[in-house]
Amino acid sequence: MTESGEHDLPARLQRLIETFDIASILTEPLTRSLTKMLEVSAADLNSDEASVLIRDGEEGDLRFLCAIGQVAGQLINLRVPAGKGIAGFVLSSGQPMAVSDVGEETSFYSEVDMATGYSTQIILATPLSRNGEVIGVLEYVNRRGNPPFEPYTPAEMDRAASFAEVVASLVNAYESAKLFRDLGERMLGIGSTEDVSVVRAWLNELRNSAEHKEMMDLAILVRDLASRGDAERAVCKELLESVSRYSNDKSDSGYFPRL
Amino acid sequence: MATISANGPSSTDGAARFLHLADDWRSATGSGVKVAIIDSGIDHQHPDLKGRIADLVEARADNKRIVFDSSLSGDSAGHGTACAGIIAKIAPDASLYSIKVLGPAGLGDGHAFLAGLEYAINEKYQIINLSLGTTKPQFFSPLHDLLDRAYQAGCIVVAAANNLPYPSFPSVFSSSLISVVKSAESDPMKFGFHFGRVIELTAPGVNVRTTWLEKGHRTLTGNSFACPHIVGVIALLLERHPEMTPFQVKSALYAIALENQKADV
Repeated sequence: MTESGEHDLPARLQRLIETFDIASILTEPLTRSLTKMLEVSAADLNSDEASVLIRDGEEGDLRFLCAIGQVAGQLINLRVPAGKGIAGFVLSSGQPMAVSDVGEETSFYSEVDMATGYSTQIILATPLSRNGEVIGVLEYVNRRGNPPFEPYTPAEMDRAASFAEVVASLVNAYESAKLFRDLGERMLGIGSTEDVSVVRAWLNELRNSAEHKEMMDLAILVRDLASRGDAERAVCKELLESVSRYSNDKSDSGYFPRL
Repeated sequence: MATISANGPSSTDGAARFLHLADDWRSATGSGVKVAIIDSGIDHQHPDLKGRIADLVEARADNKRIVFDSSLSGDSAGHGTACAGIIAKIAPDASLYSIKVLGPAGLGDGHAFLAGLEYAINEKYQIINLSLGTTKPQFFSPLHDLLDRAYQAGCIVVAAANNLPYPSFPSVFSSSLISVVKSAESDPMKFGFHFGRVIELTAPGVNVRTTWLEKGHRTLTGNSFACPHIVGVIALLLERHPEMTPFQVKSALYAIALENQKADV
């Protein structure tokens, strides 16, 4: 390794820690696949607006996991309370349904439209099921072009049900990946940005401490000696063991307080 | 006189007459017939439904049990109100009973729906509208038992198929209930009966205009909306023939559907 390479290493490690996002590594490919699936299926149904809502918590609340269309960015992580609106009903009943004139009055769960500024006119909602459990809802909204929009047909409902099978598999994989992500974060004890900065500060402190540098020098010395041949390795081992025995004896006799 | 063959009945004469049914049921209004709607509740203030809702209850979790209290919370999703509107249009004088099992938090999946069905059977409502279903295998057996109890109690359970690529319960049970799938037909009297299919009845369920929340209306598509059409028709039959058993009602629907088929040819 070159001298500049050795100097680069801590910076590179730090950059890696900073950019290391286990959430993205595990779940991002699945979110990308879901988005692609929404694009392909929405095009088949002559729509540009589609979203996946997943069950969030034990009470039957829903959360937008993935969306395409004009207000996709605003929808992500927006919540729909249990049983509310068409998506809420589809989740709790397991029944798909299509509504042809949502925007005619205000009684649709309009908080979503109010939050995004979008005008939902027609909607097709299909349950996402895995092993008999309804885990979310797949929605297609409006059509391409300008209103009034042609209502979704029974044949399109059947096609949406087939798309929902694939989407449900992806959502299931996403949920599994998320589980691993959460587990990893818990094991590392990094649940928030603040926690991450604490970990980073600790790593920096450790790297800069004199004791740590001495330990690293010692480790490098041992590695160098051990790599020179069997005889050197045997002597090195014998010496280190004898230092260790000496240290133990001294501690037991009370000469050195144990740290 | 209709004859029954191994492949199902064929009609050579008025099939309804085979059951000694006069056509006067067509002018009935469902008066005196009690209909339960197990769903998301009903907006009883809706102008189209005012005075037609006899009682509203809702499920509540009580120490791992599900109990039913009087409900003032209306409809959380609009679906129950939509079903009530369809029934009220066909059978305007039927007494509707709302059993709300969807919406209130903490009820768990499926359990409230089963408890709602049990409540309706205990109350001996003559017709039970079940536009909901479950695909969870663990509910297969308890639902089967409940439907047998309903049949023995004389309650007619009408359930919507889920039009997904896999079956849902209870709509696939054919012996003790009436299961319905949507058709593009718009006349509620022009329902179909397909003996031998898993879901035997077809009824209007495409672009159905009906009641919705906040005194509104919606145009809806789904098997959920085919189911209340059949419920409405049964309410008319029961007003004229309150003594009919679930088996006889199913036979009558079969006979009327054959008449419809014949009229279309």
